[in-house]
Amino acid sequence: MTDTIHKPAVDYRRRQKLARISRNLAILIGALVVAIYVLAPVAWLVSSSFQTEAEIVSVPPHWIPEDPTLRNFEAIFTAGNEEEITYENRSGQDPASGGYIPSTAKNLLPAMWNSTVVATLVVILNLLVGVPAAYALAKIRFMGRDASIYFILMTRVIPDIALVVPFFLVIKNLGMLDSIWSLVLTYLAVTVPFTVFILVQYFEGLPDELDKAARVDGCSRIQALVRVFLPLSLPSLVAVVLFAFLTSWNEFLLALMFTQTSASQTLPIVLAAFTSDFTISFSFINAAGVLAIVPPIIVAVIFERYIVSGLTAGAVKG
Amino acid sequence: MTDTVNIQPGRSRLRAAFGYEERSAMIFLAPVMLVLMLVAVFPILYSLYLSFFRIKLTRPNRTPFVWLDNYTDLFGNELFWTSVARTVVFSVVSVSAIAVIALLVSLLLNQDFRFRRVLSTIILVPWAIPYVANALMWKWIYDSGYGALNGLLFQLDFISRYMVFLGDQNKTIYLIANAFVWKEVPLATILLLVSLKAIPSDLYAAARVDGATVWSRFVHVTLPAMKPGFLLVMIYETMMAIRHFDLFFILTEGGPGDASHVLSWHIYVETFRNLSFGSGAAMSYVLALVTFALSYIFIRTLGRRV
Amino acid sequence: MARIRFNNVEKKYANGFHAVQNLTLDIQDKEFLVLLGPSGCGKSTTLNMIAGLEDVSGGALLFDDELVNYTPPHKRDVAMVFQSYALYPHKSVFDNIAFGLQMRKVDRAEIDKRVREAAEKLEITHLLDRRPSQLSGGQRQRVALGRAMVREPSVFLMDEPLSNLDAALRISMRAEIKELHQSMQTTFVYVTHDQAEALTLADRIVVMKDGVVKQVGTPDDIYERPENTFVASFLGSPPINYIDGTLKFAGGGAQFLHEALALDLPEAITAKLSGQDGRKVRLGIRAEDVDEAAAGGPGATIHGKVNSVLPVGSDQFLGFDFYGNELFFRVGKDLAHKVGDDVSLSVDLNRLHLFDKDSGASLLW
Repeated sequence: MTDTIHKPAVDYRRRQKLARISRNLAILIGALVVAIYVLAPVAWLVSSSFQTEAEIVSVPPHWIPEDPTLRNFEAIFTAGNEEEITYENRSGQDPASGGYIPSTAKNLLPAMWNSTVVATLVVILNLLVGVPAAYALAKIRFMGRDASIYFILMTRVIPDIALVVPFFLVIKNLGMLDSIWSLVLTYLAVTVPFTVFILVQYFEGLPDELDKAARVDGCSRIQALVRVFLPLSLPSLVAVVLFAFLTSWNEFLLALMFTQTSASQTLPIVLAAFTSDFTISFSFINAAGVLAIVPPIIVAVIFERYIVSGLTAGAVKG
Repeated sequence: MTDTVNIQPGRSRLRAAFGYEERSAMIFLAPVMLVLMLVAVFPILYSLYLSFFRIKLTRPNRTPFVWLDNYTDLFGNELFWTSVARTVVFSVVSVSAIAVIALLVSLLLNQDFRFRRVLSTIILVPWAIPYVANALMWKWIYDSGYGALNGLLFQLDFISRYMVFLGDQNKTIYLIANAFVWKEVPLATILLLVSLKAIPSDLYAAARVDGATVWSRFVHVTLPAMKPGFLLVMIYETMMAIRHFDLFFILTEGGPGDASHVLSWHIYVETFRNLSFGSGAAMSYVLALVTFALSYIFIRTLGRRV
Repeated sequence: MARIRFNNVEKKYANGFHAVQNLTLDIQDKEFLVLLGPSGCGKSTTLNMIAGLEDVSGGALLFDDELVNYTPPHKRDVAMVFQSYALYPHKSVFDNIAFGLQMRKVDRAEIDKRVREAAEKLEITHLLDRRPSQLSGGQRQRVALGRAMVREPSVFLMDEPLSNLDAALRISMRAEIKELHQSMQTTFVYVTHDQAEALTLADRIVVMKDGVVKQVGTPDDIYERPENTFVASFLGSPPINYIDGTLKFAGGGAQFLHEALALDLPEAITAKLSGQDGRKVRLGIRAEDVDEAAAGGPGATIHGKVNSVLPVGSDQFLGFDFYGNELFFRVGKDLAHKVGDDVSLSVDLNRLHLFDKDSGASLLW
């Protein structure tokens, strides 16, 4: 006896194939559009940072530099050594060759240094303050736990601009204006709540029984935190370090208020100063902009996984 | 052997209230509480106090207590209401655009395809860079003399000669919103992606077995599941939008005219250009209260159990 | 070695949940005590209070004669095995076992010796260098046991240690735990919701429900002489069957009366029922206490219609409709009945249980 196989009336196999192809095509187009949307502005910034002053003013623009130059970057890294270029002696140079280097260019590297120092200090303080707090909130049942969580939650939503006036007066009265410590202190207000929430979320994800086992094994609370939870929380610690660092590195408003000279000015401040100076060449500004975005982008690319998990943890809870 | 156990009741109650757990929790939380008191609670209270005085830094020796005058003056100030209107426009435009774009991108990233990892890394770029760098980048793109936007439109023959963008008061707030949206979409996307990923695949399988088409699966399974994510994005991004300052400072300084004179810019001008700290504090207090009201919804709807 | 005493201990949570109510319990030194009950009955809370992981809201908890209400866990000499094993993922098996000793500053040679001894006993010596993630469930269980063993604690606590194992492993681990108790000569407190585990392991069982102790006794007491319907129902598989009726004294003996059933109670039971004439009672028949009635047998027979037949390998469960009561009995395989058959089963009268219908308290024990 032979089995006859009836073909279904509709050719499902063909339909499936068609559906798969159109799905893949849609995804491809979507992915391209997203990639272009995200990358094109940055690419334009990078491209124009390699163009000379003469090329950058061409109409229509050259999307890819025809005569790429590193002069803009050189100017930044050597700005401190050169004779100060002022509005007066600047006119002595050929405008077409692109010599509009601002006198503040030499502040750029010190500003990067300041940004790094501030961000590092903020990171360290965040860890010192945030880790024990998060452990307590996640694993210790105590009276006032919920109240503490709501309190920290509330501090997270205070807009930074509402802190500016009181901060300014206090810092001015303490004589701390134009000191990086004023930045470190105020950046704690914008970073610590987020840090605590990322870590609370992570610690809560670790089993309670692990904590109990550690306690029964003879750990005090601090020993349980240091010997059992810290070694296990590396991913969330990485996320915390990244967020605190990037937030401090990128912060603008508070730095604008509290810094005055290159003793404390951070990178965003120096950059912003360039943009308001109409005499400065755009190619130079763009080079400075590229320098400002390279470190965060490198960090973002390397630690993509940690950032995504950290962002979701911190945001969902906060 | 005796069964009598002597526990002093008063002492035990005290020890129960401040037992080992409570004591260690207090020690662990002390630093964070100290820091937050210092850098968040104290400034906010101090700000409230300041807002009852007329403080002009140009006149440091006369700071009369004026009760609520700073607030009542504020509500009579036309420019203040202009700035509120601008802020509302900016926030509504940006937040809706963010929600729509982030929805599309998160749906895309929820698919399984070869370059998904690459794309999800790329998408972090706008999130990572400083707002100041974002601002100077867009300033250059919008530049009326040599900018990329002009160049692109010109090469595509949409315009016959370069035009003014940021200097055009009908366009400027939307252009700033565009720069804001570009920077905020990544975070919103990640938040939406979480709620997408949380949908159990069983649910899709069940819907398929029930005969649901792609579209009805999207409407009946995906969208309802994304509701909390959407709410979170809307509230968070609204909070970010109404307080946003950096772009306005660098791109337009509130101009042209008062076309981009938003609330945060208004506070800045009042405080640091007019050096009127009392009314600046009052205004930032209003902004803080609005944010608190929003965050109340935020906590009520999402933070129920932390 | 420790005797543990609960004197009127209370546990209330901040949200008002009363997890343990007025618990008075005396756990003897070297005893194997099992806390048994459904989830949420307060048995784990009780265990955690012994460990110091939950604080005591009221009353006194004593180790020997020392009040330990406020002693944090790391100052109590207890070891604990958890349901999820709770091994430290970042430590090797050796370090997992050694950790408790390291924290108590035992010297290294001694730690090494004790860990290796324990590992040998548990047959996990070859695993000492591995990480927990590389172990099977059964191996993890052994590591968790080892971690508790090496401590040589005065109290050994176990919180459903076998629930995550598959059925076959569970049985063999029971035997090992029993052996461990014998060799360690220390007090064991063991929490489970599994009656079979409780019955095999325990010297004494504490049955709990909603934070209240329902009965304390040897496995035999608990199974044969349940003090209330809760305990009677909680043990036994399939669970005990109930038929409501009235007590009637006639002539010299007592009778259980139901609209379709009259049982003459044996003398041993009757003796305990004096003065209970006319009382509304609930008759309990354990599933295994029936047999096929000999034709025309005595009065201790119940008739009914077979609702369902569930073979369980060694024997079969018979679902039985008795005047609206759904009864389940465990009968031999050779009894060939189909759904819908009328059957008569004879009841072992000496093994009947009688409870007060309203309070559920036993009238016999």
